[in-house]
Amino acid sequence: MLKRVLSRSYTTIDRWNSIITTIESTGGKYKYVAKDNILHKGLTTCASEILSNFESPYDATVIELLNKDMDLIGKANLDQFGMGSATANTIYGTVINPLFEDDDYITGGSSGGSAAAVAANLCDFSLGTDTGGSVRSPASNCGLYGYKPSYGRISRWGVIPYAQSLDTVGIITREMNVMKEVFTILDQYDDKDPTSMPQDIRDKVAKAVEVRNRERNGKYVFGIPEEIIVEELTDEVKYKLSLVIEKLLDLGHTVVPVSVPSIKKSISTYYAIATSEASSNFSRLDGIRYGKDHNFEGGDETIRGNRSKGFGEVVRKRIVLGNYSISADSGDFYSRAVEVRQQISKEFNEIFYLPHQMTNPDGLFEDPSKVDFLVTPATINKPLKISDYIKMEENSMDELTNDILSLPMSLGGLPAVSVPIKDKGLDISTQGIQISGQYGDDYSVLDMGDKIIKEMNM
Amino acid sequence: MIRRFYSTFDPKYKFKCGLEIHTQLKTKYKLFSLSPTSFNSTPNSKVSYFDLGLPGTQPKLNPEALLLGLKLSVALDCKINDFCQFDRKHYFYIDQPSGYQLTQHFHALSNDGYLTLNSKFDGVDKTINIEQIQLEQDTGKSNYLEYDKKINLDYNRANIPLVELITKPDFEDLQQIKAFLKKYQTLVKYLDICTGDLETGAIRVDVNVSVNGGNRVEIKNLGSTSEIQDAVNFEYKRQVDELKKGNVIEQETRGWKNNETVKLRSKENAIDYRYFPDPEIPKVHFDEHIHEEVKAILPKLPDQLLEELTVNYKLELKHARFLIDNLNLLDFYYQVIDQIQDVKMVNNWIFHELLGGLNKLDVEVSELSISPETFSSLMKKVINNEIILNNAKKVLSKSIEDPNLSIDNYIEENNMGVKKVGDEEVKTICQGIITNNMETVEKIKNGNKNSINFLLGLAMKQTQGQIKSSVFLNKFKQLLEL
Repeated sequence: MLKRVLSRSYTTIDRWNSIITTIESTGGKYKYVAKDNILHKGLTTCASEILSNFESPYDATVIELLNKDMDLIGKANLDQFGMGSATANTIYGTVINPLFEDDDYITGGSSGGSAAAVAANLCDFSLGTDTGGSVRSPASNCGLYGYKPSYGRISRWGVIPYAQSLDTVGIITREMNVMKEVFTILDQYDDKDPTSMPQDIRDKVAKAVEVRNRERNGKYVFGIPEEIIVEELTDEVKYKLSLVIEKLLDLGHTVVPVSVPSIKKSISTYYAIATSEASSNFSRLDGIRYGKDHNFEGGDETIRGNRSKGFGEVVRKRIVLGNYSISADSGDFYSRAVEVRQQISKEFNEIFYLPHQMTNPDGLFEDPSKVDFLVTPATINKPLKISDYIKMEENSMDELTNDILSLPMSLGGLPAVSVPIKDKGLDISTQGIQISGQYGDDYSVLDMGDKIIKEMNM
Repeated sequence: MIRRFYSTFDPKYKFKCGLEIHTQLKTKYKLFSLSPTSFNSTPNSKVSYFDLGLPGTQPKLNPEALLLGLKLSVALDCKINDFCQFDRKHYFYIDQPSGYQLTQHFHALSNDGYLTLNSKFDGVDKTINIEQIQLEQDTGKSNYLEYDKKINLDYNRANIPLVELITKPDFEDLQQIKAFLKKYQTLVKYLDICTGDLETGAIRVDVNVSVNGGNRVEIKNLGSTSEIQDAVNFEYKRQVDELKKGNVIEQETRGWKNNETVKLRSKENAIDYRYFPDPEIPKVHFDEHIHEEVKAILPKLPDQLLEELTVNYKLELKHARFLIDNLNLLDFYYQVIDQIQDVKMVNNWIFHELLGGLNKLDVEVSELSISPETFSSLMKKVINNEIILNNAKKVLSKSIEDPNLSIDNYIEENNMGVKKVGDEEVKTICQGIITNNMETVEKIKNGNKNSINFLLGLAMKQTQGQIKSSVFLNKFKQLLEL
């Protein structure tokens, strides 16, 4: 295969550009890599110029938890600060999808390096971050399991935020049993993370799920949100969805159409919130206390100069957009987006049988026709050739396209997993199916994803 | 001085002023991290990853800061809101490690309180309304080294908790401003919320000045009471001069430099701080009884205490104030009063003997180490005629120098106590003096009664004050048949 890259100012160690820093193996049950916006003691760059020399003095909680049993072998390429959906906005070069032999294809993003490293068998699992689909999309495009937990399930201490009201740490694996094992280690309350799901909520969720499972007795209700059946879906993924529905019905489950009308506002809502928080979060990156300093003279010049040189184009665009959203002139753009987000959450709560244990902990199981899980495609498209992706990029303002499929779960804080179902007539999956559930119902979502794949592949 | 400034305010040009006061809270740890607060440490020795704005760090609210903010709110009769939240105020500056300050813009801790000044204690009658009390972070410090063309950054101060108090524009003259600041300083110091110093930057004041209801001008970063007075006075005159020329006062921010206010920025190029709620710090919800609960743990407030000390304990106002400004001494005072019921004697002993002794030995009141028990027991010895006053003063002075001194041993070792002596012994001493001083005895017998004091002095000298003078006096009178 001819190795080509879009831009390359720094180097990676593998031909897919997936791993950007190697870490000496110290042994452990499984080898893993972590997306390079998750801090470990050492170089953590976010694939950006401004942090290209940043040596973190501390480990993220997730790294601390995993390193007792697992073996961190490297840091994975990403879209700068998690902003992107092709893992092409990186100083380390576009990540190449290991599934394809004929040409260079994108992996999706922004955790493309994390997905490629697992798909290329360089490690057994990887950590990514999912703010609006950044774990599910590359996992879907690389034939892997990609799981985004309920908001607050996994600690974010030491994870460089993109938009912390949406950010989650996700897991990418080839095998579901590895996924469950890793999640069980990471599923801990963390006192250092003010948004960590409190222990009493974890306990309440576990109890409520037990009650629900008893009542359902193995037969669940699956919902297909009508708002996500959009024209742009490929025939391939529509076909896969129909296969899954058929299988679920065969197994005695119920499948019903549901409506979450505000899902249509997901994209504008998501970008208002995510860019606002990002522009604020990135204010600290000025090259003064840490990060790349370009030796400008004077305080203001230093801040301005280091930031202008330190951020890539996509990040700069989103900072400007975010600054507008929270500016006095925007007419409260941010708070209106927060209101829409609350509406989306409300609508989700209306369709789920399991009550939301944070906002409605005393809720009762009232209407058994309500749903337990949602089934949707994980990604609209198959991965594009890198050359086609570049042409498309040149013609669009920003790659804001994708994701009515992944953003609603991010806005609702819901757990979701993308699972691989083989493409028609092929032995690989380039577009997965997404199973999601009520806030906190993570283990059920993973179990269901596991069962569906086992049944489908029988 | 005040009067002179006050007299320069022209009644045709009505002065109006409001204050914004930043008060550093005396907490053990910083507002959102577990690094210790410190005010005189080596630069950058008291900073956590969060204080430095390292990526991936998260804020954790320090409840102690919240409690101090609540105490101040209740002391100033502010209404505590149902909930408060932290918002980000964005601006780029080298000593601002996150690129924003965490403050309370949309939902503050409390609103709508007041502080009443009264002529009895503050020299002026006036109620100043408080608009808002909010919690926020302090920034780091930047020091420009002119010669080296360098800027030194110290982040020890970054993330130290501040309370920002905003008053209504209720001030009508400088006297009110000065009295308010003094009362506020006393209050925060007394409640142990802040060290109360303007000079060290623990309290920083911005003032808003307007004339005849015109636009308000904000003067930032005033470091001392005299700077505040000078700046307000200057700014008033400047605005009056402009108005006299027929000009309109622009809304703007000014600084204080070389004894004049200088324009920093106008309303047009004001910074858009892009306020928005911090996405991860949880809102703080308050119980409906929070006001009463905080009130229950507050001590008596200074005005009430002044009333009590001046009326019940008959202290002079300046002495009562001194006790409120020196809480260790107030505590000492109460413990002594508990032992010794004679308030006049206690007042005299504490404000003359004790403070005089401290002053002589150059010991700060805050470093007072003699225990109230020792002090009281010494006073009791005087009351019970076990030691004469002059010797007691000497013992006190020694105890101030050496707080571990056992006064009983010291008095014993130095024969300073009043001895219980038999009548015979007194008689022998007096007889001896009479025999050796017949000339004086003659004078006395011839009617010069005051000369008996000479004999008395000899007796006291001979016995080094161990026997009360009245005992000798009576014996002399008896022997000389007076």
